[in-house]
Amino acid sequence: MRILDLLRMSLGSLLKRKFRTVLTVLGVMIGTASIVVMISLGLGINRAQMENIERFGGLTTIEVWEGRKTNTRTSGVSAVSVIGSASSSSSSSASRDNVMRLDDEVVETLKEIPYVENAYPLLRFDAIAKYGIYEGDLSLVGIPQEGLAQQHIEIGEGHLPESSDELEFFYGNEVALNFYNPKTYEYPYWSTGEAVVDPYKDTLFIIFDREAYINSQHDGKVLPPKKYIIKTAGVEKANEEGRWSTNGYQVFCNLDALVTTLKRIFRNKVIPGQPSTSGGKPYKKIYYSTINVNVDDVEHVMEVQEQIKALGYEASSNIEWIESTRQEMANTQAMLGGIGAVSLLVAAIGITNTMMMSIYERTKEIGVMKVLGCDMRNIQALFLIEAAYIGFLGGVAGLGLSYAISSVVNRVLAAGGESTVTSYIPLWLAGAALIFAVIIGMVAGFFPSRRAMKLSPLAAIRNE
Amino acid sequence: MAMADTRRPVIQVKDLYKVYRVGDTRVRALNGVDFEIYKGEFCSIVGTSGSGKSTLLNMLAGLEKPTKGEIVIAGEHIEKKNENQLVRFRREHIGFIFQSFNLMATMTALENVALPLTFQGVQKERRLKKAGELLDLVGLKKYKKHRPTQMSGGQQQRVGVARALVVNPEIIFADEPTGNLDSNTSEEVMRLMQKVVREQNQTLVMVTHDNHLASFADRIFHIMDGKIVQIEDNRAHRSGDNREMSDGGRI
Ligand SMILES: Nc1ncnc2c1ncn2[C@@H]1O[C@H](COP(=O)(O)OP(=O)(O)OP(=O)(O)O)[C@@H](O)[C@H]1O
Ligand SMILES: [Mg+2]
Repeated sequence: MRILDLLRMSLGSLLKRKFRTVLTVLGVMIGTASIVVMISLGLGINRAQMENIERFGGLTTIEVWEGRKTNTRTSGVSAVSVIGSASSSSSSSASRDNVMRLDDEVVETLKEIPYVENAYPLLRFDAIAKYGIYEGDLSLVGIPQEGLAQQHIEIGEGHLPESSDELEFFYGNEVALNFYNPKTYEYPYWSTGEAVVDPYKDTLFIIFDREAYINSQHDGKVLPPKKYIIKTAGVEKANEEGRWSTNGYQVFCNLDALVTTLKRIFRNKVIPGQPSTSGGKPYKKIYYSTINVNVDDVEHVMEVQEQIKALGYEASSNIEWIESTRQEMANTQAMLGGIGAVSLLVAAIGITNTMMMSIYERTKEIGVMKVLGCDMRNIQALFLIEAAYIGFLGGVAGLGLSYAISSVVNRVLAAGGESTVTSYIPLWLAGAALIFAVIIGMVAGFFPSRRAMKLSPLAAIRNE
Repeated sequence: MAMADTRRPVIQVKDLYKVYRVGDTRVRALNGVDFEIYKGEFCSIVGTSGSGKSTLLNMLAGLEKPTKGEIVIAGEHIEKKNENQLVRFRREHIGFIFQSFNLMATMTALENVALPLTFQGVQKERRLKKAGELLDLVGLKKYKKHRPTQMSGGQQQRVGVARALVVNPEIIFADEPTGNLDSNTSEEVMRLMQKVVREQNQTLVMVTHDNHLASFADRIFHIMDGKIVQIEDNRAHRSGDNREMSDGGRI
């Protein structure tokens, strides 16, 4: 028989029993929809979490900070040996006080680790900004130019700091919101909802020497430290409704420019946050707060992280978080998918049942077809196709239902404020669901179709 | 003039047995049957109820396996074929007319007649054209779009006859083709079959328990307790001929 004739005949016998067909299709529809909605929810949660992780610095970045040389040996001996080794070897980054500090050499060492694409240091420094009677804390982050590009910063106005000679600030979108009145401890933004300062337009006075400033505030005789005006390169884009930025509280600047400026301001003094020699003198070089290491692939993050830890530094990445998230997600999805699978199984049994009934009813018809010379394989195909039609129709209807449910779920979640967790049905899921429904139909129809194929042609002769 | 053609055997049956086991007893439905049927013949098999007529016909059509013996149709041994091969053999060489018509309820007369061609994989226009011609032949020109429920029994059986003819088979089998029809309609259908056999040079084997209907045939096989007891040549005085003597020209 021709394929087209097979398809036409199967459809014909399906449409002959409309009511029953509709009921069976309904079963498949519910089954398909439950699986698709479950998976789409899983995917939505998955996507939201991945977005979160992305915003927290991506999946392939390892953050390294200084480590403390710990020894399992008895403390007295270890202390002596460590001190000895530290003073004898200048290349070791472990300092006199047992801390594995981060300097340019460490950056180079980390770059040498396999799978590491690049590494760059960050220097954090806390400063104070004054605007009229208000002041605000600034968390300065000095980053080399190549690192700045990786910070997922959305520019609202201006541009990122570009110069490595002149210090420029780029303000996170929440810095301005945290200006307060130091006399009353009032935060105008919290009461009025309006920021008192716009760092892009207004001129801020920056105080780098916090200690001196605080002393001057408490003791009238101490002179306040010098204030500086730092050029504003740009400000971060304001947050969208319901979202927030991990960069919001930070003020970004070029690392070299920051270092040069700090060295100039704290000439011959120890820069706050930097270690000092035993004599209380500053070191010549600058030690960094953290080093960001970029790994080429998520798969290698764990390995590289272990190696960094073996060198004696602290290291963390989102990988542990991802692992546990993944596990959690797999569990949720397995459970949700299981519910869907059960309903599809019930639907499959429904198809089998329908097909069996239809075969019993059509015993004579099948017999006649065999007497008239319809190939056994064609007879099987007719019933398989019929079951596949049911699967297909159920799949299509189920997808329709899924999209409806999905949009309702999204609307409800959006109304509840959880805008990041959404159910979404990618095209591949729709396609896979449809193919799956058809396969389910054919699997469910397989046994009945064999049954039909094996029916005796004598049934056609008998006159009941 | 067509002597050589008419003497070519289409069916050869040799020493055919069919034994049914029911519990401990054995029923010899066919008990050693031998005969030959030639191209262009209209043969009827008559006998009392339970004499083994249907069993014989089913075996000839390859619907049941014989216990013993040989059946050769168009040079092929039926008894050696498996079910798949039998289906294919029927598709290509055999037409079948049923007692209860067995038309597909959802299909029109035209589609029903075309059905065996559909099984052969003939494309739609061609098979509908052929089916249309056959419906014209059986006198149902105006009923092509009718469904079985919209036709009388006699009309339905005409459709059945057309359906059996559509594949241009080697041989046509009919088991009590008029069993569900009244006597007038039965005669009409018998005449139609007669005409078809004659005009198309078809071979037809018909089972009936009615001696009158059997007498429409060229030869009558009398069967009793699974044995052919008499083969009667009926050509001289068969029913329905009186009207069509003039256009005969056959022996
Ligand atoms: N499947 C079967 N199992 C057992 N015995 C059977 C079977 N089919 C037929 N028989 C027996 O074989 C014998 C012949 O049956 P068959 O149907 O050929 O008779 P028939 O001549 O067609 O009769 P009728 O005119 O009533 O149709 C009967 O005795 C019947 O009981
Ligand atoms: Mg019978």
